[in-house]
Amino acid sequence: MKYKLVHKTTYTYIDSIHNYQCIVCLHPISSERQNCEDFKLTIEPNPQNLYARKDYFGNTQYYFSILKPHKVLQVIATSVVEVFPPKLIVANAITCSEALNLFNTKLALKNELLQFQLPSPFIFWDEEVKLFAQTCLDPNESLYESVAKLSEKIFTEFEFNSGATTINTPLNEVLKLRKGVCQDFTHLMIACVRSLGFAARYVSGYLETLPPKGKLKLQGSDASHAWVSVYVPEMGWCEFDPTNNIISGERHIVTAYGRDYSDISPLKGIIFSSGEHKVKVEVDVIPVL
Amino acid sequence: MNTPISFLDSYKKTISSYDEVINKSGEVKSYWATIFATLEAVGLDELGIRNEEIINKLKENGVTYNVYDSENELVRPWKLDPIPFVIHQSEWATIEKGLIQRANLLDLIYKDIYGEQLLIKNNIIPAELVFNNSGFLRPCFDIQHSEFHQLSLLACDIARGPDGKMWLLDNRVQSPSGSGYALENRIVMANVFPQLNKNIHRGKLGPYFIELQKTVGKLGNNAENPNVVFLSPGAGNETYFEHVYLSSYLGFKLVEGSDLLVREGYVWLKTIDQLERVDVIIKRIDDQWCDPLELNKNSLLGIPGLLQVMRLGNVAVINPPGISVLENHGLMAFIQNACKFLLKEPLIMNSTATWWCGQTKELTYVLNNLPKLIIKKTNRDLGFKSVYGRKLNKEQLKELKATILSNPKEYVAQEEVSLSTTPSLIDGKILPRLAVIRAFLISDGSNYKVMKGGLTRSSVVEDKFQISNQFGGISKDTWIISDNLEELEEPKEQQDDIIEIKKTNQISMSTALTSRNAENLFWVGRLSERTLVLTSFLKIIFNRLNENVSSHGKKQPEFLVVLLKAVTHLTQTYPGFVGEEGEEDEAAFEKPLAELIPLIKDAKKEGSLSYNVQSLLYTINHISEKWNNDTKGIIYLIEESLVSLKASDEQKISQTTHGLDKLYIRLMAFYGNTYETLPRENGFYLFEAGKNIERFLSLVSVIQTLFCFKRSEEVEQLLLESVLENHNLLAQYRSNYKSQLNLVTVLNMLFLEKNSPYTLAYILDTLAYNISNLPKKSELNQLSIAEKKVLEASTIIKLIDPEKLEQADENNFRETLDSTINTVSELISSVTSSLSSLYFNHSVMQLSFLATDKNNSDEI
Repeated sequence: MKYKLVHKTTYTYIDSIHNYQCIVCLHPISSERQNCEDFKLTIEPNPQNLYARKDYFGNTQYYFSILKPHKVLQVIATSVVEVFPPKLIVANAITCSEALNLFNTKLALKNELLQFQLPSPFIFWDEEVKLFAQTCLDPNESLYESVAKLSEKIFTEFEFNSGATTINTPLNEVLKLRKGVCQDFTHLMIACVRSLGFAARYVSGYLETLPPKGKLKLQGSDASHAWVSVYVPEMGWCEFDPTNNIISGERHIVTAYGRDYSDISPLKGIIFSSGEHKVKVEVDVIPVL
Repeated sequence: MNTPISFLDSYKKTISSYDEVINKSGEVKSYWATIFATLEAVGLDELGIRNEEIINKLKENGVTYNVYDSENELVRPWKLDPIPFVIHQSEWATIEKGLIQRANLLDLIYKDIYGEQLLIKNNIIPAELVFNNSGFLRPCFDIQHSEFHQLSLLACDIARGPDGKMWLLDNRVQSPSGSGYALENRIVMANVFPQLNKNIHRGKLGPYFIELQKTVGKLGNNAENPNVVFLSPGAGNETYFEHVYLSSYLGFKLVEGSDLLVREGYVWLKTIDQLERVDVIIKRIDDQWCDPLELNKNSLLGIPGLLQVMRLGNVAVINPPGISVLENHGLMAFIQNACKFLLKEPLIMNSTATWWCGQTKELTYVLNNLPKLIIKKTNRDLGFKSVYGRKLNKEQLKELKATILSNPKEYVAQEEVSLSTTPSLIDGKILPRLAVIRAFLISDGSNYKVMKGGLTRSSVVEDKFQISNQFGGISKDTWIISDNLEELEEPKEQQDDIIEIKKTNQISMSTALTSRNAENLFWVGRLSERTLVLTSFLKIIFNRLNENVSSHGKKQPEFLVVLLKAVTHLTQTYPGFVGEEGEEDEAAFEKPLAELIPLIKDAKKEGSLSYNVQSLLYTINHISEKWNNDTKGIIYLIEESLVSLKASDEQKISQTTHGLDKLYIRLMAFYGNTYETLPRENGFYLFEAGKNIERFLSLVSVIQTLFCFKRSEEVEQLLLESVLENHNLLAQYRSNYKSQLNLVTVLNMLFLEKNSPYTLAYILDTLAYNISNLPKKSELNQLSIAEKKVLEASTIIKLIDPEKLEQADENNFRETLDSTINTVSELISSVTSSLSSLYFNHSVMQLSFLATDKNNSDEI
């Protein structure tokens, strides 16, 4: 499948901003599963400069700054991405305890995975989280199947509710509320997996949504999405989407991989201002072929 | 030697551990014998006097650690022992080698961790010590450019172990502090106690600082004349004295994060007339706080966008952020292997024995030997204090074990190091005390040099030494001595003396005035004048109170009532003597001291004298790099005045009035000194502008309250006398007019006289002059808004008709006087905001946020 992605972010400020420094992480990654054929970043007002770099995890990030006083800022990222048909997943039988053993004994593996096993700015856990994880991850069961079970459990037991949480709601609160959005479910699932010693990454990207039957898709109705990538020995990094209880496939388009949201948030910035501001995000995922 | 027992012998008797004075064969080191002979010749009494002198000298120079203690609001002065710590050059040479090797090694480790990570891949250091370390900052992995040393500045704490060798206890890389204190120690010692180093050849500190200047010169794009700034977290920092001292000594601008700004791929300094490009930043803030855009987003100390400028190679930062990964106690456990791996040679100077609890064998050892170990976290987080195993009881040891076992990888244990003792002056006696030396290294890009000296800290009490994060205990000048001069001479380095002689009693006012300092200088002007005016007015009131005591019984004469009300208006400390809603409180006038004393001593009461002095000192402290040594001495005296004012007591009025007199003179001395020494630059003009705005506003406020209502002639006479005194014009009036006081003549003088500094016409002329000297931002050939306002006020003042102002209506209200004063007050008040929006407009709030949309976030 090939998609055209449009990710439009609009900031509106009450007082005008005369110094804005920003980092953008919206350039879809090119990998075995997808190829980013085109990417364009349009910023209004025009920034003084725009620098691209590969971050520590290999994602492309852009830095720009605007020092011209402005009250509205618009950042539009447009990309064309071809997602290859997913390879057939053959789940192996490596059990949770076997996997742990491998992580502890194989130095190269440990060095590669460690940063995705440790707590990170948004992901830390307590006993509650660990207990919740243990209901799915049994030492003697297949790791892959167990993680799939965890993803399903989060999907069935948690209610999707966009008003219940913010990006700063702690995980144990999400666990208690049993409510949240895809970021919460992704963070929670990563915390569960890490709490028992396994490695998990945060994936940011998009999911193509289908309009209700017989209706046209509305412009700007899509949204950015997040899901989980877990390392299974011999299989490598496997992706799970706990928000929809599906294995990520051709309809998932990856932007970036990181330890959690903080590493790869789509836009982060520093403004110098005394007033308030509003943010509006509009996303379109348009199949082109 | 007439004393029955020599200093040296009596000292030897007090030694209970291995001591610096004694060599391996148990004999007294010859140079210590010399020093003891000198000390003996000086005598204990004289030594005590020198010690006092040192304390005073340090206080006068404003040498402090933790400038304002929040609890006591008092400065914690630096302590310096008159007896130095001494090491012979022959031994120091070996120490230097060890330190230089360590610096090279740390530089390589840093580069490897942010580069290929061969140390991790080859299992030389465990991955946990990098990835689970808050000092490892991923955004910093691509900020280095050159092959040169990235670790330019390094401080190492070393101490002598039981084997007689120096051991390395700790290394500081993020913002190594202490070299400035070492320098000040040396200068004070040389001034106060020159006898001590008479027959001794002593290493100089100067070359280290010259090397630092050279290194800085090599960095950055603009090698010809790099613009170097010294980035401090600000006056709240405990080593702020050093930031001021070093930046001024080295000739670098002292700045805070808010003074800098990233634009078009460069870092710029905000000054009141332009943006100035910055080439090199010597950073004294911790790594995490450097760039809120990519590091700690809550930081208000850093510069958003800094890391990107570093990546572009457009600014050099010493030491670069991310280097904090080296400040990990756990690394010590692997340093020997790292040395063999990276340098292919054995480690010269040992570190304290360290065990990382993430390894099974090591963990077992630690758990079995807790009472003789110090437990630390691998992450040098502020929350966790080192735990001394020997101080714990059984129960606590058990708890500690459980804590470690819950997450062993986060803990390291270190042997509790045994230290040597060294002679120290304690309560008038020479006694052995434990000592730790901080050594300083600087790289020129490819070679490290060690300061020939250092900062020694010794314990006050005879106990185990605790190497605290902060400087505890007493400091000592640190001497590297040799038998002949050549040994100490740096080849080809002949400029040593120049920098060693260079004292701090010079003003380091660079022409570029940062917006922040501009604002601070303006406020120093306003606050010092506010304090001065209030002091002077209180003096007048106390004089009148003393003259009228008991003459009228309890009731105060009318003119005093008016004066007391004026002080409430002046300080805006309502209700005070004015009362609530115009209802005077009779009791307040019966016992005026009950209101006046708190108005002097209560530092928490807004508008009080102590409150004002405190605000003034606080603002002065924020720009202390602008004050020369003499001014610092005066500032110290004003601080002293604050302490005595706070102790004011109703029972001791004469002491209070005496205190007011002293404060008045000291403030005048401050004015005199700044006026005579500040260069006539923007800072001076802003200072003077602030002073004159405040002077004008407070004088007219008093005139207004005293004369807006016409009173009986007798009362008005007394008020006129007071107001003339308030303008320092009483004597002049008498000699000029030789007549009885009357309002028309007095107003004529107060408003119109152009030759006396305290008349309104004179003040506004001065204000106009100072503002006209400030840089123009737009419309170069026209008056600025501030200038226009001053001109308008000045015109009104100069055109008044005293006869008209004196006219009162049937209610005895002097309408014209009142409205004239209101108009000019408003005009002059608004000058502050005009100046502020023109020159100080830098303090907008900095906010950090992620692009999340509350209503529409990532919904699928």
